[in-house]
Amino acid sequence: MNLEDELRRALRQEPAPAGFGDRILAKTTRVQPVWRRPVTLAVAAALALAAIIPPAVKEYRRRERGVEVRDQLLSALSITRAQLGQTREKIRQNTRHKI
Amino acid sequence: MAVDFARVVVDNQSLVFSLALRFLRDREAAEELAQDVFLQLYEKLRQIQSPAHATWWLRRAICHRCIDEARKRRLRPRIGLEAVPEPFVESRDPDPLLNERLRRMVEELPESARAVVLLRYQEDLDPSDIAEMLSMPVSTVKSHLHRSLAVMRGRLEKREICR
Repeated sequence: MNLEDELRRALRQEPAPAGFGDRILAKTTRVQPVWRRPVTLAVAAALALAAIIPPAVKEYRRRERGVEVRDQLLSALSITRAQLGQTREKIRQNTRHKI
Repeated sequence: MAVDFARVVVDNQSLVFSLALRFLRDREAAEELAQDVFLQLYEKLRQIQSPAHATWWLRRAICHRCIDEARKRRLRPRIGLEAVPEPFVESRDPDPLLNERLRRMVEELPESARAVVLLRYQEDLDPSDIAEMLSMPVSTVKSHLHRSLAVMRGRLEKREICR
């Protein structure tokens, strides 16, 4: 007796039970692939937001700071103009008195 | 390359079910485990590149699941219908009793050796393929085969002497 041949005979494949494949296919309609599950979609959306939001916030803050600096500059220019006006007026008055 | 899941099921159902059945000798558990493995494949279908890859993946997955299940059962032995020999039906086997005895001897092998013997004699895989599938060195596969055959041969000879 050749044991290896006997083992091949004893262990040959057996047909799956009737309806086995249909039962699996029926279950796949209930089991969604990982990439289509709500949890996966939520995680993907969260990751996308995490990638988009911080640069957007950074850009918003940079613009805010720009506007603030522009306002300060305009205010400084306005003060300087007023002081220059006053100084010019004083010079004009002094010059008139001397004449 | 897209893989047609329904086609994969049809082509591999017998392979996966038989491996589980021969490993556990419990039709109900074998069907349940085989279904689980197919559903697991369905979830990973995007990673599967070809029908051959699907077959390879299924063989590997069912072997590992069977090894885990058999280990669990060793800790919590189940006594049920599976302990009863399969009903005798008219068979094409020249010696159904010998076949049944061989299947029982395979069932009694340690889990890793059992997986090696099933992949070698049911699936006709080479030791190098088995080694890759079960993540073990080729030398270990060969040693499992050698020892398992020696044990089975010894038991069969003993039985002949006792007759």
